[in-house]
Amino acid sequence: MSLKKRIVVIAPGRGSYTKETLGYLNPHREKIADFLTDIDSRRQARGEPTITELDQATTFSPAIHTKGENASTLIYACSYADFQSIDREKYEIVAVTGNSMGWYLALAFGGALNWTGAFDIINTMGSMMKEKIIGGQVIYPIVNGDWVKSPEQITIVENAIREARAQGGEVYPSIHLGGYAVIGGDAKGLKVLMALLPKIENYPFQLVNHAAFHTPLLKSTSEKAFELLPPSLFQTPSLPLIDGRGKIWQPYATDLDALYRYTLDTQVVDTYDFTKAITVGLKEFAPDHLVLLGPGNSLGGSIGQILVENKWNGISNKAEFSARQKSDPFLLSLGLI
Amino acid sequence: MFNRAEVVDQNFSRFVREGHLPPARSATGLFDSGLKPAEFMDLFESQMMSRHLDLIARIFKNKNLCYYTIGSSGHEGNAAYGKVFRLSDMAFLHYRSGAFMIQRSKQLEGSTPLFDMMLSFFASTEEPIAGGRHKVFGSLPLLVPPQTSTIASHLPKAVGAALSVQRAHALGIDAVMPPDAVVSCSFGDASANHSTAVGAINMASWCSYQNLPLPLIFVCEDNGIGISVQTPGNWIENSFGNRPGIKYIQADGLNLFDAYRKAQEASDYARTRRRPVFFHVNTVRLMGHAGSDMENTYRSFSQIEAVEFNDPLLHSARLAVEHGIATQAQILDMYESVREQVRAVSESAMRRPQLSRAEDVRATVTACATPRTSPPPPSLDERKAAIGTSDWEKAKTPLHMAKLINLGLHDILLRYKNTVIFGEDVAQKGGVYNVTDGLFKKFGPKRVFNSLLDEQSIIGTGIGMAHNGFVPIPEIQFLAYVHNAEDQIRGEAATLAFFSQGQFTNPMVLRVAGLAYQKGFGGHFHNDNSLAVFRDIPGIVIAVPSNGLDAVKMMRRCVREAHENGRVVVFIEPIALYMTRDLNQEGDKLWCFDYPTDLDEEIALGEFGIYRSYDESLEKSRPADLTILTYGNGTYYSRQATTELVNKYGQNVKVLDLRWLSEVQSAKIAEEIGQSKHVLVVEECRKTGSFSEFLVSAIVEEFGRKSQPLPKIKVVAADDCFIPLGKASAAGLPKKEEILAGALELLGLELASKTQATSSSKAEGANA
Repeated sequence: MSLKKRIVVIAPGRGSYTKETLGYLNPHREKIADFLTDIDSRRQARGEPTITELDQATTFSPAIHTKGENASTLIYACSYADFQSIDREKYEIVAVTGNSMGWYLALAFGGALNWTGAFDIINTMGSMMKEKIIGGQVIYPIVNGDWVKSPEQITIVENAIREARAQGGEVYPSIHLGGYAVIGGDAKGLKVLMALLPKIENYPFQLVNHAAFHTPLLKSTSEKAFELLPPSLFQTPSLPLIDGRGKIWQPYATDLDALYRYTLDTQVVDTYDFTKAITVGLKEFAPDHLVLLGPGNSLGGSIGQILVENKWNGISNKAEFSARQKSDPFLLSLGLI
Repeated sequence: MFNRAEVVDQNFSRFVREGHLPPARSATGLFDSGLKPAEFMDLFESQMMSRHLDLIARIFKNKNLCYYTIGSSGHEGNAAYGKVFRLSDMAFLHYRSGAFMIQRSKQLEGSTPLFDMMLSFFASTEEPIAGGRHKVFGSLPLLVPPQTSTIASHLPKAVGAALSVQRAHALGIDAVMPPDAVVSCSFGDASANHSTAVGAINMASWCSYQNLPLPLIFVCEDNGIGISVQTPGNWIENSFGNRPGIKYIQADGLNLFDAYRKAQEASDYARTRRRPVFFHVNTVRLMGHAGSDMENTYRSFSQIEAVEFNDPLLHSARLAVEHGIATQAQILDMYESVREQVRAVSESAMRRPQLSRAEDVRATVTACATPRTSPPPPSLDERKAAIGTSDWEKAKTPLHMAKLINLGLHDILLRYKNTVIFGEDVAQKGGVYNVTDGLFKKFGPKRVFNSLLDEQSIIGTGIGMAHNGFVPIPEIQFLAYVHNAEDQIRGEAATLAFFSQGQFTNPMVLRVAGLAYQKGFGGHFHNDNSLAVFRDIPGIVIAVPSNGLDAVKMMRRCVREAHENGRVVVFIEPIALYMTRDLNQEGDKLWCFDYPTDLDEEIALGEFGIYRSYDESLEKSRPADLTILTYGNGTYYSRQATTELVNKYGQNVKVLDLRWLSEVQSAKIAEEIGQSKHVLVVEECRKTGSFSEFLVSAIVEEFGRKSQPLPKIKVVAADDCFIPLGKASAAGLPKKEEILAGALELLGLELASKTQATSSSKAEGANA
């Protein structure tokens, strides 16, 4: 029996780099100098602003920082820094997962992409909408204030989706994000959703610079990805990976062709079930901690909601989660430390 | 060293490290199998997971923390068909199916097999299928109905489920399985000798022999021993290798390549030919039958070691190394990593809540997680067309029970398209008592069909069809024949909702012609008069109508309960009353009734019938002198006796026809007895173990609870004897005379002479 703490590492998604995280790399810069030099030069070669430039900008510009072609790799670099900071003498990484774009990061950190592959896939997939963003995503809570699932709100979301479709819009469940439903769709569909979903605090709102990820609307993106990204970028992972369906890819039992197809096709056009990925991580790997990589902590709430849903460690509502986080945190958010 | 679990565990690591691996028993290699190397390693991982679950279960058992140690060690080759059989192929598994279950879970992303199985070891309420009620392999999303499997009693229902696949789609009913599904059921070589297994395999053969589609794979995992009893050499292949209509395929369960390839062959054959396969998989059994089984008492040390050396995990290690799929170090790394994973998961699962309160345990006895609604009643024109003009006209005149049930079944088949009627002689012949007359012709052979003469198979067929969306109405020709098959109700149908928290149910109305009093057709086997076999089974509905009108209304309710709430119903039809027309004298036709044409006319579960020999308005001023509690034939004869008690003795008599031997409303019965000072319980079944015993205790309890003076109670029951032939056939049974004598004794009256008799007509027509 290992004395190390078992951890499941979670890579964040597209919305994690914000104005609060500007300069996130500063304390890490030295430790990941080679990595930064490499990705900066690769981006320069592509005529893209470097990660160093972006992170060291004096002000956060949503128009620049949240653009896919910038945000993805920027987040990758921040997460990479956090991932490298994990003390492997103290912690044993038993599985890696992520949310949405975080899947590409999980592949990279889990060793399923070679050095070039990690950059190519993350940067390329992030740059798919350079010219025009296909559709968008709307986010809406399906839990009550205590983070307990609300059947009424789930029904409201289902009805809104039905109505948006009835009015000719194309909308699909995009991400199951703990206590939130993320719905992807075209402009027409999203407009109906925004009008129909009753206001709860800031919700519903449309995620800036996000496309209709994980919906059939991105079929062309998937096709383009197959043209641009060869299977040779993939390799046998060194850590177990949990994908956006809750499937576990074990190091010795990963069919690389299947992993390639899942990454460039299935998860691009089909719902990403982050809730299931975390649930599988909890149940099948029984970690001592979940470790959320930075930048920031924007997935913290969703993860807390998933713990509540599973009554994990006796946590059955938001207050209990917060109390536990204060006294003996189960979720370690490296973006906050 | 007698802790063989530790030995097997240590052997694996040591032998792999040293490269001391068992020689191949079959030649199938990676290329022949069609598996990719990663797929092989995925299967190998499932094998390791299953093994580590077994190992840790033993450790926790020693600490009294785990409640089940029958493991899968030696059988882990079944991971191969866990991959081959589809999620839409219903699988009835035996208790050595750990690796199968893990591998099947991998077909459904997001499954958590390790956590779920550990929850079952600790009997946690959060265990997804049984909620801590048993350690069973079961899962609704994986289409694995749970059962104990210890006596192969799941095989008959597997046949039924397979039989239903094509039929469901031909009939257009809302089926669980797609039309190309294949059903599988697994069992061991020792279990293959159970009559359930032999009967089920025989039925599959019987069906296939006459070209009935039966996509079924019998998976016999042959480890050569049943607890301590050795299976004779080649017994399985010689017994089952050449059955008519059944394809025999043998596989090496120690070689994943071979097991996978042959499982694929079996699956393809059953799927494309729609015929059954006997899939014989050679395995070994490691670590004894269960944790408590000391193998050294019946196997020599060298025998034990020889078996252990044939550990399927060692064979898989050899295959991996030989084919360059993994190195010894990688295999050991995976083995230890899985061990650590299972350990961590076990500690997490151990902290989850466990069942403790009785009310929580019994909460699922009749649970139904997905209730259905009944279809709307068919139109009058549809009903007329189905029943036929002449019968429809006949229905307007008073009829006997057999005909009324027959008409009732017409309406049921018409309304519920998922009902099927089957049993011995029920089709063209219309049943031995004509109760199913004409149904075959009107509804066709897919819905009304003859079974082979095996009650286990009949009930098993019903259970299996129910798993796939049907509401079967099987018929058991005579009550005594049920005993041949009682476990199919007791151990299988009745337990399914309990062990699955209502996720799986067995909607079924089992019609049983039974009870005694037949004139001219005697003998115990056609007049059995004991219902004790049903009475103690939790959750089942037991209906015993006393007349045709009630029978129709009760049958409607039974089918509704089965369809809507997944209930298991036993519907006892008193044979002697089938054709009975008269009550008091020849030609009075008081036991004939009009057919209740309004389909909403039903009798609720537990609702009893009340007959008063007096006007109800008099009840308060003069309570009944005597209240008779009875059912079935007892009601009929009690009514005859009542006529005399009223006419000759001027007594006010109330007869409670209890109708249901389950869902009994004791408080209401006590309320109905009310101020009546005499209670006669008339029981047509053998006294010992009969319903009357419950009734008496219920009355005593109810009156005691309310501190009411207890009435005088007497039981008139059938003798504790079997029914003979000929003139004495009804000798030991309560009839009018015995009931009358019992009533008079209770009332303290002398038997009047015949000349004291007054007109019997006074009692007639006073039915409240």
